[in-house]
Amino acid sequence: MNRDLPRGKGTVDAQAPLAAGGPFALEVRHLSKSFAGKTVLRDFTLSLRPGEIHVLLGANGSGKSTLIKALAGYHEPDAGAWVSVGGMELPFGSPSTSYRLGCRFVHQDLGLIQSMSALDNIFLTSGFPTKGGAVDRREARRQARAALDRIGLDIDLTSVVSSFGPAEQTALAIARALLAHGGPPPSLLVLDEPTASLPGHEVQTLLDTLRTTAAAGVAIVYVTHHLDEIPAFAHRVSVLREGRLIDTWDADAVDRQELVTHLIGSELVAELVGAKEAQAQRRVDNHTEPILSVRGVRFRQLVDLTLDVWPGEIVGMYGLTGSGREDALAVIFGSKSRDGGTVRAHGHDLPPGRPIESIRKAIGYLPADRKVLSGIMDMSARQNMTLVNVRPFWRWGLLRSKPELSEVAKWFTNLGIRPADGESAPLSTFSGGNQQKVLLAKWLRQEPQVLLLDEPTQGVDVGAKVEVHRQVQHAAQAGTAVVVSSTDVEELAAICTKVLIIRNGRVVDELVGPRVTVPEINRSFHAEAPMDELVVNNAQVDS
Amino acid sequence: MRKSIPNLGMDRFSGIYLGILFILIFTIATPLFLTESTFHVIASSQAVAGMIAIAVLIPMICGQFDLSVGANANFAGLVAVVLLNDGWSFLAAFLASVALGLFVGFVNGFIVVRLKVSSFIATLGVSSILTALAVIVTESIVPPPPSSQAWTKMTQFEVGGFQIIIVYLFVLALLVWWMLEWTPAGRYLRAIGGNTEASRLAGVHVDRWAWISLVLAGGISGLGGVLYTSLTGPSFTFGATLLLPAFAAVFLGSTQLQPGRFNVWGTLIAIFVLAIGVQGLQLLSSVLWLSAMFNGVALIAAVALAVNRTSRANPRPSRLRLNQTDEDAVINAASGTVGQEGSKQPAV
Repeated sequence: MNRDLPRGKGTVDAQAPLAAGGPFALEVRHLSKSFAGKTVLRDFTLSLRPGEIHVLLGANGSGKSTLIKALAGYHEPDAGAWVSVGGMELPFGSPSTSYRLGCRFVHQDLGLIQSMSALDNIFLTSGFPTKGGAVDRREARRQARAALDRIGLDIDLTSVVSSFGPAEQTALAIARALLAHGGPPPSLLVLDEPTASLPGHEVQTLLDTLRTTAAAGVAIVYVTHHLDEIPAFAHRVSVLREGRLIDTWDADAVDRQELVTHLIGSELVAELVGAKEAQAQRRVDNHTEPILSVRGVRFRQLVDLTLDVWPGEIVGMYGLTGSGREDALAVIFGSKSRDGGTVRAHGHDLPPGRPIESIRKAIGYLPADRKVLSGIMDMSARQNMTLVNVRPFWRWGLLRSKPELSEVAKWFTNLGIRPADGESAPLSTFSGGNQQKVLLAKWLRQEPQVLLLDEPTQGVDVGAKVEVHRQVQHAAQAGTAVVVSSTDVEELAAICTKVLIIRNGRVVDELVGPRVTVPEINRSFHAEAPMDELVVNNAQVDS
Repeated sequence: MRKSIPNLGMDRFSGIYLGILFILIFTIATPLFLTESTFHVIASSQAVAGMIAIAVLIPMICGQFDLSVGANANFAGLVAVVLLNDGWSFLAAFLASVALGLFVGFVNGFIVVRLKVSSFIATLGVSSILTALAVIVTESIVPPPPSSQAWTKMTQFEVGGFQIIIVYLFVLALLVWWMLEWTPAGRYLRAIGGNTEASRLAGVHVDRWAWISLVLAGGISGLGGVLYTSLTGPSFTFGATLLLPAFAAVFLGSTQLQPGRFNVWGTLIAIFVLAIGVQGLQLLSSVLWLSAMFNGVALIAAVALAVNRTSRANPRPSRLRLNQTDEDAVINAASGTVGQEGSKQPAV
């Protein structure tokens, strides 16, 4: 989670005094929301000044999405709530009114069309300015340029979106959201986990964009799971837990540990610490044969991926998106077909591009993209979990649901999946963290000898993250070789016995034992980073 | 498999209620309606429609369209007649025609899986080729009905007033229901239909199952075609009239019993409710355009219903997949982006 990467300008003005006086950009009083008698948000009260960056923290299910939906006009809150935006009262339950009063929302899923130009995307939803019935390209370009300037983004408007980096794409979505469309200028921007899938240096670029945006007088509500984004960025921080606003702090008056404790409760914090200690005591016997052996594998950016993994090891892979790291596990498993090199699992060569063969060799793979590659959203959690192997439940010509249910229930208990009796509910009804637990259990029940995890805790809440880490360590103790590919340095430092640094398509460094720490990983990563790469990163920050 | 516990819920049994409503209305409207023969006619005339709908259903579950079912049925029926007239024994002609249907399904599968042509296009093309082949095989003359006793007995033998063909339909439905709901095959087909890539990464033989589903659809179509021809005599055109009601029934069926899932019994309910509607209207008025009009409207209404149902159960911002769903990301539309339905459920 540590994004301790080169910082550009803007770290200072984050602490600049806020505009005092005048109407609040957002004022929420006594907002509660119940579904079918169950209160998911309780008496929420908060005020934001124009230009304030307010970080909102909360585990999945803490009520933050309900709050956002209420502001956006998708939920009608319980009676007694009062909300004003830019000094004007917000009537509930009308998305278009919410938009007109100046509330804007940008989601993790940006809603950009990758194959269209930046300009087309900006006007896609609002309609192009026209002259005599035809699109007025010049006026469109002028408006778009103004919108980009406001947030300090300098990109080529005619390039297609897919050619931009993730941070630029997010910034583009922000610029689009902030278009005024003839109404009052937007006063509130809500971002829901915008950095969940961004690599470290891209995060800083985005945070800079947001600072510029806030400096122009827009209040920002920023939802994140990444606590280390708070210092030098946010003005204030609020924590939601179980539908209640626990408290609001000035960002520089609260430390990380305190926030974690408020977020997940002190029990889980203790466990997080314990896991790290247990890992330090584990030793791996490197004298036997490696269970997974990868030699000279080539695929897109990967030019020569070579690594060995022994039973009981947890090997981390760290590298920017674009270093080839993001494809490494998919290529090893065979979900993407490699262009060259060999992959051997306990002595057997694996053919390229054949996931089935890998599964037969007791390899499991949890892809990074839960919704597209991993979960079958409209099937039940149970069927998702047992899909890899339903044979044990197949007797006398029937798939028996009783043994299947009891096995799935066991995993539900084991991983603390909520709701606890949701075995037969569609996967789509679970929260992100619980979906990930279901999909992890899908592989754990195979008792794999090699477990490949791609960004296993991306976009999941802190509680689920702890659980995933605990399960991974548990599996490793039982002899499974685990490979974790992640952009989350803290995650790697917390669970790995060895971390491989990947750059330009190959493993450039290997950190073992006491060197598996956040500062060491970052140091190794930067020490060998070629100068031009750093220059490129800084150039992005400055633009 | 969710068990469908009978209750009065309109969400699951609306089709049955609609059927009862039809029966009541037509009973009041015309004395011709509520007679034994009406139901005998509906049962036998819809038995093959039901089989073709089941043929459509299987590949549909794993996300493949089979538009060739009608042409396939028609072709298989004509071939059976031609073979019988050529002096083949009943059994040989029957088996050969059904095998031909399976082979057509195999070819569909080859085009879809190996040549990677979308099933929509592939089966549309094959359908046209089959129509051409039917003309070639028969030398463009409708062949005379075969004289074989077994040939007509096969479908017209009566059990308690009903022609036996309806029994075949229920045996087939039972088998397919068992396969879809109680075997790993059904599980895999649904998984592939839900998310093909995720299924592949979970070790499901995605291509193999898509292929098998098309082969099964072909075989069932061939069987249905042979039975239809035995029942009503050889013709060049019956296949085309079966296709649309089959799709209507499959989609309408997905709003019944297990809403949001294509399922066998829902499909059969839909077939018979639609048939009761058509039959009743035809008794009231003898215009020729009625059943085509009724089936067209029913197909569109069925798909609209099914789509609304699934989007409520599983909110998906856009059918065009401009964006992936996220349980937290609900409000793309608030920033004015793509059309979207708000989730009615609180995050778990």
